[in-house]
Amino acid sequence: MSYEKHPSDEQLILDLDGELSARQSRRLRAHLESCWTCRTRRQELENSIAELIRARRDEELPSADGPQALLKARLDQLPAPPPRIPIWALAGAATALIALAILAIRVLPSRRPVVHQAAIFSIPDSRLTPGAAVLLNRRSVCSAENTKNKTVPVALQRQVFANYGIPGAEPREYEVDYLITPALGGADDIHNLWPQSHSATVWNAEVKDALEDRLRQMVCEGQLDLSEAQREIAVNWVAAYKKYFHTDAPLPQHRQ
Amino acid sequence: MSIERTAPAILPVSTAGPSRDTRLEAEVVDLFDQFRDRLLRYLLAFGLAIPDAEEIIQEVFLSLFRHLQRGKSRANLRAWLFRVAHNQALKRRQRNRRDPESLAADGIAVDPTPNPEDQALSTQTHRRLLAVVRALPEQDRRCLALRTEGLRYREIAGVLDMSLGAVSISIARSLARLTRATER
Repeated sequence: MSYEKHPSDEQLILDLDGELSARQSRRLRAHLESCWTCRTRRQELENSIAELIRARRDEELPSADGPQALLKARLDQLPAPPPRIPIWALAGAATALIALAILAIRVLPSRRPVVHQAAIFSIPDSRLTPGAAVLLNRRSVCSAENTKNKTVPVALQRQVFANYGIPGAEPREYEVDYLITPALGGADDIHNLWPQSHSATVWNAEVKDALEDRLRQMVCEGQLDLSEAQREIAVNWVAAYKKYFHTDAPLPQHRQ
Repeated sequence: MSIERTAPAILPVSTAGPSRDTRLEAEVVDLFDQFRDRLLRYLLAFGLAIPDAEEIIQEVFLSLFRHLQRGKSRANLRAWLFRVAHNQALKRRQRNRRDPESLAADGIAVDPTPNPEDQALSTQTHRRLLAVVRALPEQDRRCLALRTEGLRYREIAGVLDMSLGAVSISIARSLARLTRATER
């Protein structure tokens, strides 16, 4: 490459970006030392890079808090990697399984259809309902006036029932509930809904409501991060209740 | 760069069911903190709507976790993240094209008129610059966006599946346009 001629924009930028070889860069710089025109051009290119960066800096992005909490919750729920098992152990396991299967055939009564209607979901299935939050910051969560859960549209309720293997469920037997309550930024999303059974006697919807009120109060009083509240409720709301109310069982005033 | 610094050479393989690789989780969350904004800006420059872009970023980091969990290469995770995000964005856009309801969300980035947020920007120049960026040919816009997020030419070539020469020509072409816009 000869720099008797003026270098192109491309060569100037490659040099600015450190993408030229040492030898090419030396020759280009030698030319720049003697050429005011090219130095000015290089300056102009640098100026537009700087302006572009300034312009982009002014663009506001939504907060990363919600998405980060969601990622943490999802990572928590990923299955552990399969252990590495030697072949001989597999052979042993297969034998044991066959033995078990024979035993099961003898012991178990004849097959009956699975009765799904009796299913009680105190804690949602994390594969179906990992929790999902919308992008809200603490201020917008705490300034929202209506903190009561919205009713889930019937079509969406049916989809939730189908996902949980109870397609024929009566809506009055279950409350399709938000895992992360909208009052804490929870999303109107199938991944944030699950059928909470009204026949759950201990860890029921009323108990969860009490936890939600408590967490929202803590978030709005600045005692708890919004993302942390979302994460805890998504990972295991029963554990969160025990933690925040310092108890192993629902408090009497929360049971109805 | 911090990626290289955080990389342990050997990963423990979790053996029991419930025990999780919390260190790996923490590492992935740390990378999320470092790269989420950069990936989001790239995906927005790509022309995706924010909810789509956020969803893709979630997928990218879940894939990263599985990638590292399986003990796969840790060489240049930065380029890896952008490449996976780019491929997911292509797929998402194809799906959006098939699904006419979400068509409206597509193509935002090629609208050359300043949007309301741009209008609140401090200077006329910034507005004009961003409008020029939005009006760039798609591939040029992607090259420039990746360079803006700090990728080297070789990495950009890898993400966009272009030759090194094509990357440098594209960036020079975009900067020449931007320079004309700032001078006006």
